[in-house]
Amino acid sequence: MKTIWKYRSVYLMMLPVFAYFLLFSYYPFVRGFIISFQNYRLIGNRPFVGLENYRTVLGDSSFWEAVVNTVIIGGGTLIIGFIMPIVLALSLNEVLQTWFKKLTQTIVYIPHLFSWVVVGGIWIMILSPDTGIVNMILKALGAEQPVNFMSQPGTARWVMILSAVWKDMGYYCILYLAAIVSINPSLYEAARIDGANRWHLARFVTIPQLYNTMKVVMMLNVLSVLRIFDQIVVMRNGAIAKQVDVIMYYTYAKGIQEFKLGIAAASSFVLIFMTLALVFAVRAIIRYDEG
Amino acid sequence: MRPKSKAIVSTVLAAVLLGSLLAGCSGGGGGGQAAGGSGAPSNQPAQSSEQPKAAGKKEERTLRIMAGVIGGKTPEENALFEQEVERLTGIKVKWEKPASDYDQKLLAAVGAGEKFDLLQISKEKMNLFIEQGILTPLTDKVQNSSILSDPNVIPTAEWDQLKTKDGQIYGVFTKYQGGTMPIVRADWLRKLGLKEPVTLDDYYTVLKAFKEQDPDENDKDDTYGLTTAGMYEVQGFFSAAGLKQRYVEIDGKLDVPYSTDAAIPIYQWLNRLYEEGILDPNFATNDTGKMRNLFLSDRVGMITYWDAWVGMLNNTRKQQDPNTTFEAKGLPGAADPNGNHMLRRGDPDVWVIPVNAEHPETAWEFIEWWHTKDGIYLGSLGIKDHDWIENNGTIELTQVGQEHNMDHGVPFWYNKNVPNPFGLLPGVQEAQELLAKYSSLELTPTDRWSEAEKIINDYSFKAIMGQMPAADAVRKMREELIAKKLIDQ
Repeated sequence: MKTIWKYRSVYLMMLPVFAYFLLFSYYPFVRGFIISFQNYRLIGNRPFVGLENYRTVLGDSSFWEAVVNTVIIGGGTLIIGFIMPIVLALSLNEVLQTWFKKLTQTIVYIPHLFSWVVVGGIWIMILSPDTGIVNMILKALGAEQPVNFMSQPGTARWVMILSAVWKDMGYYCILYLAAIVSINPSLYEAARIDGANRWHLARFVTIPQLYNTMKVVMMLNVLSVLRIFDQIVVMRNGAIAKQVDVIMYYTYAKGIQEFKLGIAAASSFVLIFMTLALVFAVRAIIRYDEG
Repeated sequence: MRPKSKAIVSTVLAAVLLGSLLAGCSGGGGGGQAAGGSGAPSNQPAQSSEQPKAAGKKEERTLRIMAGVIGGKTPEENALFEQEVERLTGIKVKWEKPASDYDQKLLAAVGAGEKFDLLQISKEKMNLFIEQGILTPLTDKVQNSSILSDPNVIPTAEWDQLKTKDGQIYGVFTKYQGGTMPIVRADWLRKLGLKEPVTLDDYYTVLKAFKEQDPDENDKDDTYGLTTAGMYEVQGFFSAAGLKQRYVEIDGKLDVPYSTDAAIPIYQWLNRLYEEGILDPNFATNDTGKMRNLFLSDRVGMITYWDAWVGMLNNTRKQQDPNTTFEAKGLPGAADPNGNHMLRRGDPDVWVIPVNAEHPETAWEFIEWWHTKDGIYLGSLGIKDHDWIENNGTIELTQVGQEHNMDHGVPFWYNKNVPNPFGLLPGVQEAQELLAKYSSLELTPTDRWSEAEKIINDYSFKAIMGQMPAADAVRKMREELIAKKLIDQ
């Protein structure tokens, strides 16, 4: 208490932010948790039904299909989306012309700024079987038939994974580049003296120094990987819905389309528990708390 | 933090969480009844949180309305809309028309306890709300209404669309809802010397000609015979097998006609169109906007869409080029072996009165007025002296009115006593006659439909795009629907 009084002005400055989170994050969180135990109606009484909503969700085969899709698409985005920014950052680090380096950084960062409505529309156009540039290239390379990337079950998940990686790898690349800049140059000097070539410098100096940044990036990705929604809403269609509908879309369908808010709330909390479990597991595996 | 302070803070947080959990036991309106499984609909009607007004006390003539498609096109025009309602009825109205995400906003507003006197919703939502017991029954009011029970205002048979299984009515039509059909470029038919198709073979011939014979005369191989927005509204082709879209109920059992063997030839026909490049390969990813744009930009000769859009498509091209030869025309769908056609009527939109409405009598007065000439003109032509003017007894559209296409949520209406002062847009009369002759109603989706639709679409696309033989796709579709108890065997 003495400490709080000592820094009271700082705590006072924190109050508006605290109030914001209380009002727009924690209160809805608690209300949602309550709704997940109710037979929720728009008007009138909302009787307590215990774990019935959770039983309904966990007994619904559509939910488990959504879980499988979420794990595959989210897992693929996590793994490839973890590796690609590192490769990009290491590659850009080797570029000597500053103007080209900065230009590339800007270009790869731009997709992160766009909403999924724009990015999804762009990729649907690019992958179009008749006018899309990808199929035009394939045709020029000798492909007999165009590939309908957005309507084939075999390619749908890859499209989701790779477009998500493409959208965000510029952002994480910037984080890695910032970390690379802060690496002590004397480490590189010492390595060169010991006969290290450029690959050895990257492998034995740069990458180990990026471990802490990698941990942060991994945790950021893990927190959001199960919550993909915008991308799916924009890019899904009837032909690939079974392969790409994720848990958040299931929640949206139950809550907004079918007005079954109790079930939607239960499904969203199942997702929260899954994310919590995943975060704790990943945290332990990567030894996040160790320096 | 000291261990003691930590313990105090932890205890307080735990108490808050526990309190929140216990608050869940009390429900939303006091009284902690356990109503059984969450899947079972609540049969107890919601109680209004306010006591009914004492008998004899006159209700204030004011309304709070939420509507998705009815109202002004802009917030400014919406304010004029409110004023116009007050001018014509004496009812003071607060008209809320969200610019987007209507369902979400409706859900958030009503669920948060906001009280509305009138809501405009789809029949599907009405069924959900009836299940939740949150709508005021209107059966007696409808039967006793001299306006709404007049068959010239609303045909008696139309009410069957809105009745529940026990014959109750909870909503009143906001407009006449038409139906969907194949829409063809009639000018291309004439140019290529083709007759209007009747059978599926005729359709194939016509669509192939659209693809191969350069009907837009631009010397480019850039036209398709047919495009759709996924499986949206392709029932006009399943008409060749006499199959309805969505669910049908036979002897109390739900079935999906598209999952029966009769659908196999139709899927094979669609697959043939796809394999030969006659069907736009983007049909699976198209939305309805893209489909319309392809039709308007001479990229495709046939789409499947609403009767009202026959007129709007013609009108749009006419406005761009008064000398255009463009002509969209509705077709009755493919004939079955007996020469019968089958088209589908769309689900209607309705006005409903929530149980917690503060002015239910005024709301009812508004609903009845909505089906009179003044209400119809407001919902269609728009606001007097803004969208239209009366000049020596003749009604003329203003520039704004022309841009609004005579549609403020009511492009068509039932009331035969109120003729359209401008007639219908080109092609709509014929399209509506086809619907009157060949269309039938469908079952409105139940809560099982969204899951069933996903399965149907999945296998339909596989069959059409040749990823699976049509027979296998139909068989697997049916197996999965039965396994998940989405149809009754």
